[in-house]
Amino acid sequence: MLRSLTAGIVLAFAGSRANVARTILSCAGIVVGVGALILVVTAGDLGQRFATAYSEANAGRAATLEVSAFGTVTDLDSFEEDLGRAGALEVSVYNRMESAPPLRADDEVIRNTDIVGVDAALGDIRRINMTRGRWFTEADLDSRAPVLVVNEALADRLGDFGDVQIGTDHWADVRIVGVSQGSTFNANQYSAYLLRAPSSGEIVFGPSWDPEDNSLPQPTYLARVDPSDEAAEEMFSGGVFTDRLLSASWRWGIENEEDIMVYRTDYAAETEELIGYLSLGLIGIAVITLTTGLLGVLNVGLVTVRERRRELATYRALGASRFTLFVAVVMEAVVVAVVAGLIALALSWALVAAGGALIGRFVWLPPDISMAVPPSAALVGLGSAAFVGLLAGIIPAIRALRASVVAGLRE
Amino acid sequence: MTVDTPHPVAATGRQPTPPLLRVEGLTRHFMVSGTRIDVLHDCTFDVSRGEVVAVVGQSGSGKSTLLNVLGLLDEPSSGAYTFDGVDTTSLREGRRSRLRGDGIGFVFQQFHLLERRSALANVGVPMVLGGVPLLRRRTRARELLEAVGLGHRLHSQPHQLSGGEQQRVALARALSREPALVLADEPTGALDAASSTMIMDQLIDQSRVRDAAVVVVTHDPKVAERADRVVELVEGRTR
Ligand SMILES: Nc1ncnc2c1ncn2[C@@H]1O[C@H](COP(=O)(O)OP(=O)(O)OP(=O)(O)O)[C@@H](O)[C@H]1O
Ligand SMILES: [Mg+2]
Repeated sequence: MLRSLTAGIVLAFAGSRANVARTILSCAGIVVGVGALILVVTAGDLGQRFATAYSEANAGRAATLEVSAFGTVTDLDSFEEDLGRAGALEVSVYNRMESAPPLRADDEVIRNTDIVGVDAALGDIRRINMTRGRWFTEADLDSRAPVLVVNEALADRLGDFGDVQIGTDHWADVRIVGVSQGSTFNANQYSAYLLRAPSSGEIVFGPSWDPEDNSLPQPTYLARVDPSDEAAEEMFSGGVFTDRLLSASWRWGIENEEDIMVYRTDYAAETEELIGYLSLGLIGIAVITLTTGLLGVLNVGLVTVRERRRELATYRALGASRFTLFVAVVMEAVVVAVVAGLIALALSWALVAAGGALIGRFVWLPPDISMAVPPSAALVGLGSAAFVGLLAGIIPAIRALRASVVAGLRE
Repeated sequence: MTVDTPHPVAATGRQPTPPLLRVEGLTRHFMVSGTRIDVLHDCTFDVSRGEVVAVVGQSGSGKSTLLNVLGLLDEPSSGAYTFDGVDTTSLREGRRSRLRGDGIGFVFQQFHLLERRSALANVGVPMVLGGVPLLRRRTRARELLEAVGLGHRLHSQPHQLSGGEQQRVALARALSREPALVLADEPTGALDAASSTMIMDQLIDQSRVRDAAVVVVTHDPKVAERADRVVELVEGRTR
């Protein structure tokens, strides 16, 4: 048994080396089919990673809820505590300033900067890609000067950050700790995150903020909840999260359900659905291509059956059993198919790298997404190559081995 | 099977060893579009180790058919064929193949070398099937080819060799596993006198030196002359 098996494998290698024409013909079909499959899986995977990264950068990780109050929250500390009690794992204030204070660098005033007051926890809610420096930390809360993270456009404008001020009723020096990568939306617009800290509350919330009991009209928060929590299903209030939040709302001065708006900002669910349809279509294409490849290989296999009958009968006359030759023929097909699969893998890898470099020149790509063939695509490609080889080997093998030795020798 | 069984002729005074192969009442017919063609009726004979037997007969008398049965390539329609003490009629395919590979070397009328494979590779095939390791296989194949005068054509493929050279490769291949039984179907048919003598020398050596049984089908009276015994096929019967 073992002897037959090893003999079959040796004959398989010798066979694929000796019958070059047959080998190359079989290869070509598989290279195209498997190459298409690998590219399709790669495209699907990249699409998914790209969509997720995009969604996480611009709308938050799953599941991010935006919570707004239309009324005055009389005690922000209690309100934040209750957000946590309602199911929020991370909470960050998200105060997009309507008339943001101007910045000044080297005595030049810069207006039209979007400034959003946030907490350090925003870094856990959204995917924020830093190109330089770092995101906010706990230690920044003690800073006497307001702490900022600016986008690339603003960073370019500000120069070396040596002499930057923010202007309210007076100019105050600021500390810039990092530069975040812009998204397609705000690439050219100046924007900055301003850390909410004891010393910067007034800039973050403006004059309507009361530092005495920490009350503020119409605050907006971002909260991340566990996607499997039923609170994540909130859509424009009236859901579990709102109910939980309002259960002790007298502590912070809002009684009406209509005065709280909660909605889910991330599009993880929509992305998933879209990717689902997309991959279904792509898999369809891949299956068709692969089947075409399979038929090509099978055809080569069947055309060469006549030629093979004599060869196989000769082997049998020399003492090879049917089993050995079955192993040899099938192995030969599998070896050829896997080699073809490897060729296809190398070609698609080169194609994806080249394509990635080209696309990267025109489109913004999240920095943590590399344009490469993912392992899953390589595995699927090589797996189906082996499977195609197996199928394409078995049928001709059975047909070639049906003939008796003497009849085979007479072919 | 032991290779150094004493030669039956030399073993005077001892029990004669049982024959290596025996056919008894063997028949073989073919059905061709509903008509039965009886090729062999009632063949009975045996061959011992160390013996060279020539099978002669007219063209179409069934010599190749008989040799195919002896080589376990074909099964008789009826009758018994015992090889090396094994009744071959009830053997399953795997066992048959193994018995054939281990015990029988076949030289065909049409050579049947593997195309696009070097002489060295061709001679190596039975050893691959027998599980002989690569290096030993290489060395032995080279030695065998040198022994038939093809030491300078090791890497030639069949289509690059003359008929006589191909036949010598086929002979080397048949002998590569030192089979107890060597079957040759007109091994000298396509050859000139010198090559023909060389092939016959090799075959006879197999019986004299290695104590193998040799059955050779031939038209050539010179070849038949050198055999220990001649079996003649007339109208499908052995005489
Ligand atoms: N598979 C087969 N089907 C039908 N008839 C066959 C088959 N094999 C052999 N025969 C017939 O059997 C007869 C004997 O054939 P065989 O090849 O054994 O002759 P041979 O003695 O070897 O002749 P030669 O000396 O020409 O080689 C021939 O008439 C041939 O047509
Ligand atoms: Mg013949």
